[in-house]
Amino acid sequence: MKYTPKLIPEGINVTPQPPLIDFGYLIVTIVLISALIFFSLGWIAEWLAIKISAATESKIGQILISSTMPALSSSVLLADPRLDYLQENLLPTLAGETQPPLTVHLLDDDMINAAILPGGHILVWTGLLKAVQSENELAFVLAHEVAHFKHRDPLRMLGRSLVMLSLLTVLGTGVNQEMAGLPSLVSQTGELIGLQYSRQQEQAADEEALSNVIQHYGHGGQALDFFKRLAEQEPQRGRELTISRYFSTHPPTIERLAQLAQLAKVRGWTMTGAITPLPRW
Amino acid sequence: MGSFLEILIFLGLLALGYFAGHYFERKHYKSIRLRESQTLHIPLITVGAKPPWPNAKEAKLFIGGVVISTDYFKTISAGLRNLVGGRVMAYETLLDRGRREALLRMKEQAIEWGATQILNVRLETASIWGAEGKQSVGSVEVIAYGTGIKE
Repeated sequence: MKYTPKLIPEGINVTPQPPLIDFGYLIVTIVLISALIFFSLGWIAEWLAIKISAATESKIGQILISSTMPALSSSVLLADPRLDYLQENLLPTLAGETQPPLTVHLLDDDMINAAILPGGHILVWTGLLKAVQSENELAFVLAHEVAHFKHRDPLRMLGRSLVMLSLLTVLGTGVNQEMAGLPSLVSQTGELIGLQYSRQQEQAADEEALSNVIQHYGHGGQALDFFKRLAEQEPQRGRELTISRYFSTHPPTIERLAQLAQLAKVRGWTMTGAITPLPRW
Repeated sequence: MGSFLEILIFLGLLALGYFAGHYFERKHYKSIRLRESQTLHIPLITVGAKPPWPNAKEAKLFIGGVVISTDYFKTISAGLRNLVGGRVMAYETLLDRGRREALLRMKEQAIEWGATQILNVRLETASIWGAEGKQSVGSVEVIAYGTGIKE
């Protein structure tokens, strides 16, 4: 047999397609599919989470608080007149009887913030108590957290974070070592989405809080003064670390104030009245 | 801030992988095509012992081996492909270059020795991984071997 030299044609073992097109196709597909999975699972998780009974919520709260508290234990104030005042005086007037009952945890730190965990555990930082100038102001912040509790927002958030966590675990272990750069990227975007209540949840909590405060004091005067002061400091949020903490977990204050003012107008609420001073402590 | 920096580094590595990888690949293919046309006159035959052998005066084993590394862009691209499945196009050029380069290295040694034909040519592939850890880099080794003969 005669050997005839011949070059093998190109494009047989290598797909003639630019690598960037392949990459773009992959990125778009994966982002779309993961977004779809994340949102549908998150929605299902929320739907299931709000069906949890008060007793189970209380148990979940116990587990959460016992795992969170050791990290904060140095700053937890157990016997403090401010804690008694919040737990015995202010909270019952705003929330009444709830299932599970609400518990205030006072944390000795200059951070100006308040938060609610599942199971009715309200965290209040002493920084907030120093920053508010009347009981009306404090009542509104507290009523806001109580409203989150009544709407079962902490449970919804818990459901959503569980989905996030399980998806990340699947991605972290299911994907092999080559993907080293990606999981951290995914988890960081995850943190941004997972740790905030939605605008709608915040707005609903604000509205209920204001109506609650007005029911209690007969007017909405001074209730929003704390936020008005925050709004003035808002442009310099980068510099004021203790204050910026509140913004990192809540939407822009100016918008919230505008929405509340609008609501008060529509409902015909009285937005001025006598100030209720804070007790001396 | 930390996460922003991390994303920036990730994109930087991706761009580095894409542009550097692309440049070296083009350069390699240019060299492969040139050398392939230069060594075309020597037949490579894959048949083994069954058919009658050519009348060989001398025979010698020739081995051509090459290790080629993936770049960051290809690695990420293939990693994404791992999630959805399908043809891993990113690695096709890598293996194609490996096979052709290994064959060329074997052939060039045989030509230097004075071979007229190379019989029973075989190709083998092995993957080489860096240390077990997060940032391991994937490389592929391709070996071509065959028996060069002088007629």
